[in-house]
Amino acid sequence: MHPFATSHQLACPECDALMEIAALHEAQRALCPRCLTTLQTYPRNSLNRTAAFAAAAAILFLVANWFPFMTLRAGFRESQMMLWQSASGLETQGYPYLAAAVSLFILLAPALLIAGLLYLVLPLFWNRRLPGAIEICRAVFWARRWNMLEVFLLGALVSLIKLGKLATLSLGISFWAFIALILCLTSALGSIHPRELWGRLEMAKQ
Amino acid sequence: MKGFAPYSAAARGLALCETCRLVSPVRRGYCPRCYTRLHLRFKQSLQRTWALTIAATILYFPSNLLPILKVESVTGEQSNTIISGVIQFWQQGDYPVAIIIFTASVMIPVLKILAIVALCLAARTGRRPLAMTRLYRVTEFIGRWSMVDVFVVAILVAVVQLGSTISIHPGTAALSFAGVVILTMLAATSFDPRLIWDAAGSDSRLTTNHG
Repeated sequence: MHPFATSHQLACPECDALMEIAALHEAQRALCPRCLTTLQTYPRNSLNRTAAFAAAAAILFLVANWFPFMTLRAGFRESQMMLWQSASGLETQGYPYLAAAVSLFILLAPALLIAGLLYLVLPLFWNRRLPGAIEICRAVFWARRWNMLEVFLLGALVSLIKLGKLATLSLGISFWAFIALILCLTSALGSIHPRELWGRLEMAKQ
Repeated sequence: MKGFAPYSAAARGLALCETCRLVSPVRRGYCPRCYTRLHLRFKQSLQRTWALTIAATILYFPSNLLPILKVESVTGEQSNTIISGVIQFWQQGDYPVAIIIFTASVMIPVLKILAIVALCLAARTGRRPLAMTRLYRVTEFIGRWSMVDVFVVAILVAVVQLGSTISIHPGTAALSFAGVVILTMLAATSFDPRLIWDAAGSDSRLTTNHG
């Protein structure tokens, strides 16, 4: 029995079936009997894992943006590409809107996700809630949809194959950090237990 | 007043908060936990979804007809459309890459637009609600992967700024294609799958055999 369960009713977000909340054990999940949508999961050790993976993701995000992503060598020339240059390159070529979209997908949304998660979850260990927690929580769930790190990785692999024929490419530290970043951020998001998170936020002192 | 699905929260005047998923009476106006405005269903869900889908369909044409990438080298200038890029990969023997790009850039956007149209129609007819809900889930999940071609362009442009023998420029299609992906993603999120069950529920023949 959760101390923070404020309402005992649950509505399926996809078919609106009204139900009583099931008491889940760790690693179990509840499906909607009508439309089979996953209603809730109970990730193991949710708060600890979310915090740990988000902290790791924060460090990896800095590493991925600090070091070169790829290096291209052709003859005696060498050019290094930083992660953010995939957005700024489009801007200098006259595509500011596209640059804005790309920076939202691979820089802003992930940064907002990581920072937002840490801002929400860390104070909860001391049963505190920082100002604006509800807005941040909403922003985190919004940013989740527009975070496209894994799609960018697929794009990077395709460009490696495309350019590999023209020049010598080597992968930078940022590239490997980027892969680890995807794993950590996905794990952090997967460990969130929304019901517990909202309940704890509600109970926490401001 | 439209009928809501039997056993639904809405039929009892209860609304699911879109932000924190708390169930509370809709007449409270705002969610007591997170102060989000409460609605029984998304506002003007079908209108918004139709509008975004039509806009995406229109943008789909320039994004496939115009060049997405321009390569300048000693041998001259070469423009690539999405399809010609796929053909190039195929001819060079990179079959997996050709298949990935074809799936992500050509097939998924078309299938996604068709899927959203099917969902909008299902929200009126209420036929096969279980299959349609599954279609909705798949549509929400795969939409983002179409962005792969835009990222390829972004990376190529950024990495090949050597001032050497080759220079690469983005084409207009990159912008309109990103538009297609963003619009279809927005269309999928503005669609309210609960409408399918409402429509199914109002037809008594269909409530019993939705499996």
